[in-house]
Amino acid sequence: MMTKIADGRDVGHTQQSLRDLASQWIEPSRIPKKFRIITDTSEFIRVDYDDIVILDNSPFLIRHNQKEGRFGMDDQPKFWVKSAIDLSDGSKKIIKLVFHERFEARIGDLFFDCIRSPLKEARILDLVREHVNFMQGYPVKDTASNIVRVIDFIPGQTMADYASADGIKHEEYFTTSFPAILKEYIETVQAILFLHRHNEIHGDIRRDHLLRDATSNRLRWIDFDFAHGPNENKFVHDLFGLGNILMYIAGGRDITMQVLQDEMPHIRSAITEDDFNIIFHNRIANLRKVFPYIPEALNRIFLHFSMGTTVYYDNTEELLDDLIRAADAVHGA
Amino acid sequence: MENHKSLPKLKDKHIMIAVDESENAKAALLFVAGFIGGFRGFRATILSIIAAPNRDLFASDGERQKWIADKRESLLIVLERYRQILIQAGFPKTKVRTELVVSDDRPVSSVILEKQREIRSCALVVGRRGISKPEEFLFGSVSNALIHSANNCSVWIIEPTCGIE
Repeated sequence: MMTKIADGRDVGHTQQSLRDLASQWIEPSRIPKKFRIITDTSEFIRVDYDDIVILDNSPFLIRHNQKEGRFGMDDQPKFWVKSAIDLSDGSKKIIKLVFHERFEARIGDLFFDCIRSPLKEARILDLVREHVNFMQGYPVKDTASNIVRVIDFIPGQTMADYASADGIKHEEYFTTSFPAILKEYIETVQAILFLHRHNEIHGDIRRDHLLRDATSNRLRWIDFDFAHGPNENKFVHDLFGLGNILMYIAGGRDITMQVLQDEMPHIRSAITEDDFNIIFHNRIANLRKVFPYIPEALNRIFLHFSMGTTVYYDNTEELLDDLIRAADAVHGA
Repeated sequence: MENHKSLPKLKDKHIMIAVDESENAKAALLFVAGFIGGFRGFRATILSIIAAPNRDLFASDGERQKWIADKRESLLIVLERYRQILIQAGFPKTKVRTELVVSDDRPVSSVILEKQREIRSCALVVGRRGISKPEEFLFGSVSNALIHSANNCSVWIIEPTCGIE
């Protein structure tokens, strides 16, 4: 007999059929006697471990809440983002439930309106289908018309983890690892340009939203549900995020005044206000002052994101053109 | 004796003032009122833009429409108040008009310039927000965009602190 949910609708599965499906992918001893079946995910906080969420007849066995941590803060659980097993094929998925979180985002000292928009993420998922540099998945409506996103799990490290000069001399990192990392990074800038040409933005470009897919060995952008309030140039937040990642991978980490103080105190006095990141005032953008072997063509890009700049990038094409030129200089260095 | 009737009629100089609810916009309006109010040969359009966030920022279309309607209501009051100021400053009633446009996810500057081209105003007046460099970088500057993109039109950027008393 089919299992019925609270409103009397059949979900297309019985407890037994769900157990049979689950037993293909997890140990029988770990299968609960009775599944709680959810088709309306509005109360995402109640969607819990071992529940089954059925979306468009496909059953997903819920595992843990996803977590996100940054800047040394403990990982915060994201109750609206669940890891899950697609019981139809055993693949690992990330299920993003609807959370219309509206908040004042902060970058440096500046605040702006931001909202998590399932609609935007759903639209972009459709746009980037089969694109190797974006997470893959599909939007599906639950029985309450919430736009749930079913995302393929990406095994691999974030850009923050693997583009790191930790434990080696910067010059060695810059000459051995960085050229290849830069090449991959340029590919991800091209991917963002693809979005911009379709009048879409990523909305939350940062180094932990760029994953190196261990299966394909390609970098993939993840999490594009952030939408911002009106702006004279809607692409500027993305451009700023791209600039920050570029400076991070060139430095092998964020080069702050603290880093200089601890490791290169002789350089500290040469740094002026103009050399700092235009938004993050503790980070140095003029990295050539710290690492003189950084080619000028690359450093000139960094300076577009410095306090001393008088010119900004208007669009991603401009950044990409400069990057391609700079990459030649890096490879030739 | 000169026959005045045979002289071609002079066309009014059309000035457009783009305003919002800010004090800087008010300063721009007052500048125009004080600077050319009472002189003959001018007409003015007071333009306001509803910079409507796109659909992504709202849970539903209805919520967005309500946001726009609320904004429209408050801006119409501002526009009428500013129209009266120009009339009191000496602009003929028939030569001051107001316009309200929804920008629909487009840069405010491009909507202003589109309207300027449409009405063929010879001068465009906006207030200066006086934002910091980081703010200009991250949120953009309408006045800078106007200066860079305006064609066949003078752009007056009014410093709030140097309005005409």
